[in-house]
Amino acid sequence: MRALDLAELALAAAPAGDGGLALVRRERSLVLRYARSRPTQATAIDDLTIELAVLREGHVGRASTNALDLDSLAACGRSAAAAAEAAARAGGVGTFPGFPAAGKARGHDGHDPETAALHPERGGAALAAAFAAAERSGLEAHGIWTAAEEETAVASSAGASLGDRITDAFMKVVCIAPGGRSGYAAATAVAARDLDAPVLAERAARKAEVQGEPASLDPGEYPVVLEAHAVGWLMELLGVTAFNGLAHAEGRGALTGRLGTRVVAACVNLADSPRFPGTLPRAFDAEGTPKAPRPLLEDGVARAVVYDTHSAALAGEASTGHALAPGGSPGGPLPTNLVLAGGGAKDEAELSRPIERGVYVTRLWYANVVRPHESLVTAVTRDGTFLIEDGEITRPLLDLRLTDSVLGILARTQALTGSTALTSDGEFYGRRFAMGTVAPALRASAVRFTGSAARV
Amino acid sequence: MDAAARRVEYADARHVAARAERISVRNGELAQLDLDAESGIGIRVRVGGAWGFAATRDESRGGAEAALERALAVAEAQPSADGAKLAPEAPAAGAWESEVREDPFGVPMADKLALLTAAEAALREGSGVTVSRASFFAWRTEKLFASTEGALCEQRVTECGGGLSATAVADGETQVRSWPASHGGHVAQAGFEHFRELALPERAPHVAEEAVALLAAPPCPAGRTTLVLAGEQLGLQVHESIGHAVELDRVLGREASYAGTSFVPADGIGSLHIGSPRLNVTADATSLGGLGSYRWDDEGVEGQAVPIVRDGVLRGFLSSRETAAELSLGRSAGCMRAEGFTRQPIVRMTNVNLEPGDAGSLEDLLESTGRGILIETNRSWSIDDQRLQFQFEGEAAWEIEDGARRRLLKNPSYAGVTPVFWGSLDALCSDADWRLISLLDCGKGEPGQVMRVSHGSAPARFRDVEVGVA
Repeated sequence: MRALDLAELALAAAPAGDGGLALVRRERSLVLRYARSRPTQATAIDDLTIELAVLREGHVGRASTNALDLDSLAACGRSAAAAAEAAARAGGVGTFPGFPAAGKARGHDGHDPETAALHPERGGAALAAAFAAAERSGLEAHGIWTAAEEETAVASSAGASLGDRITDAFMKVVCIAPGGRSGYAAATAVAARDLDAPVLAERAARKAEVQGEPASLDPGEYPVVLEAHAVGWLMELLGVTAFNGLAHAEGRGALTGRLGTRVVAACVNLADSPRFPGTLPRAFDAEGTPKAPRPLLEDGVARAVVYDTHSAALAGEASTGHALAPGGSPGGPLPTNLVLAGGGAKDEAELSRPIERGVYVTRLWYANVVRPHESLVTAVTRDGTFLIEDGEITRPLLDLRLTDSVLGILARTQALTGSTALTSDGEFYGRRFAMGTVAPALRASAVRFTGSAARV
Repeated sequence: MDAAARRVEYADARHVAARAERISVRNGELAQLDLDAESGIGIRVRVGGAWGFAATRDESRGGAEAALERALAVAEAQPSADGAKLAPEAPAAGAWESEVREDPFGVPMADKLALLTAAEAALREGSGVTVSRASFFAWRTEKLFASTEGALCEQRVTECGGGLSATAVADGETQVRSWPASHGGHVAQAGFEHFRELALPERAPHVAEEAVALLAAPPCPAGRTTLVLAGEQLGLQVHESIGHAVELDRVLGREASYAGTSFVPADGIGSLHIGSPRLNVTADATSLGGLGSYRWDDEGVEGQAVPIVRDGVLRGFLSSRETAAELSLGRSAGCMRAEGFTRQPIVRMTNVNLEPGDAGSLEDLLESTGRGILIETNRSWSIDDQRLQFQFEGEAAWEIEDGARRRLLKNPSYAGVTPVFWGSLDALCSDADWRLISLLDCGKGEPGQVMRVSHGSAPARFRDVEVGVA
């Protein structure tokens, strides 16, 4: 049964309330993990979640199931309705204005039938290629290869009847040298055939092979070149701290009171672009609101945040199609297709050239928000951190702890590469929802580091 | 398993039925009321040294057989591997369920909402709170495990709890206070009685007052000082810097591309000094009420209390049957856990507990401290991929002056390097102050798995720690 048919069936089985919405998310996925140039775990998933949301006097009750029989769907609907009714009795009239009216979602080219077949042999061949490339350099390969098909559908009493299918593929290679130095490369795409395992492995190997005893830097501010993957992490953190419409409406956002003002360097242009070439497209959000491009930072000026129905009502705005759950997720809405526009630099080498002494960062790890109002975050560098001296990478660096404001880093951004990459860390918690950020590499005149990796 | 036995070196199957309730009241209205249920089968096979795993929601015989075929196909498609044998284990047999006095799923929704509404309203009684929130969580997980070695066992686990948070906003600044902990509060392997005992409505006014007071509090000064950690922050410190560091899959390099490796070497048992002689850590899957407690892990190994650190020296690992065999440990420590039926088990923490000391109560500890700062509730955390260099921020701190808790401080942070930090441990409170805290969102694995764990600890003191770093 198609996801949309199932959504319609589930909606029909639910008590009407003051409105209802059925969201179906189906996942078929395959993940192959490897370490030390050997396969370690392989996971094939075929599952779906039917989520029913029922509105009653401004309160939304939700229930979910993965059972498809009519009795189970009806029971799920009754649970959602009973939850909404209990909330209405306990709390008076709520503020949720109702599920959005039917909209027309635009199509996209984010589905590849060959990838959707999920042939494990393709993944196995990618692993073998990565192992061979690492071995040629005397290194061990670690990482994952994964591909999936996601089907999403929304049917609502407000008339929404939408279906969407996407595929995604991701491969990550970390090469580790006998001495412990590591290098990273990864790729994300709509089609699995676009993941070039040997190229990724060779790129990761080159970083692990950089010779020299790792230098240590004292805490402080240094000029930095961030590769696209590191930039992608920072943009995702900015999505949480600056563009969340709920936090913004409540005065907690990093852009509260700053829309329309210059907040970062003029060379920075960031948008949420659900059909941008190279992204993982999405047609609509979890409430059935069609996705549309939304400029967030234009020539350094803060232009907008993103909303779901609930946060939009609080702010007196309209939903921008960024709901993560019907009725809104507790944490608020988030951008899911961030695109940071590239600049004029040819590559990372050109970005490095003006730096007398600075830091080259391949990727960030274990990032966490410290003070959202300031977009202050902390993270550690990993798998390819190097010292830049007189415009060239000269030697490896011990990994560093970055603690800085993302808006601050973007305010100190001097140049960006023209080429961009779809970056992702391939983290698939819960029901798979593949997303990534399109980002260039960039140079910032100063980034604050508060510590350096230790050795035992 | 009968169908699998003829075609594999080993196979196991888990049928998991999971149920969850997540309710929160926020700013005077319902913010979340989610009632979730899912069930299915996960089948894991080992062929030619490679693992394959397939999950399906189709619980029919045909569905299970199709999942087995898929698991075999996935295992066979991978490059060949020379995996270690599995450490021996007697087949698990029997049934077990966690202790519950009042079934949280049997309590009327109106009663839950009444408690939450009262607690959330109490957060808004004073002025200055921008976001008030009271939350309730309950999970029930029923598992049936079988293996080609003849294991067949059932478990039923119920978890329940919740918490409060108040957010104050003014002049471009946001401060949050939570109780009894941040990131969801306190959840235990228990029934609704645990949620009632949290007494959220009674605690709410104080939580709100502290959130507002933080806006005007002085910032935590930068420098080196004595640090007293308690409650959630100490539990998280144990979790991040010791618990993850002794996961044997990390130690053996199997998590290098994602969670990372470990500063702990595979041959470190008996020789690696992780901390001061006062440091004693036990991974205990039998702690009453702990979210890491069970009768059998998800590959049928009995839950155990395993010494991890004794007198500051490494004594054990968190392990699986495969990793234990690779290190010739004789027996798995029983630490394989999986999130639901769609994920295969990986090495996870049980209740990794810091054993108490002899320093008396928290007040006794502060009295003997002289000068320093106290942090109890976490706001932000980060640690490197070897579990060495860490940086934590708390929601609030208190200045310790002349042996007593004095001024409230905002934006407290501290940083350190794991063995150096634990080496500076010079006092631990006594058994009477030892408590379990819960962490609800421990992420690991690819595809990602979220696990709920608990950590027991009594307040502890660390000398010469770098604070005010963020």
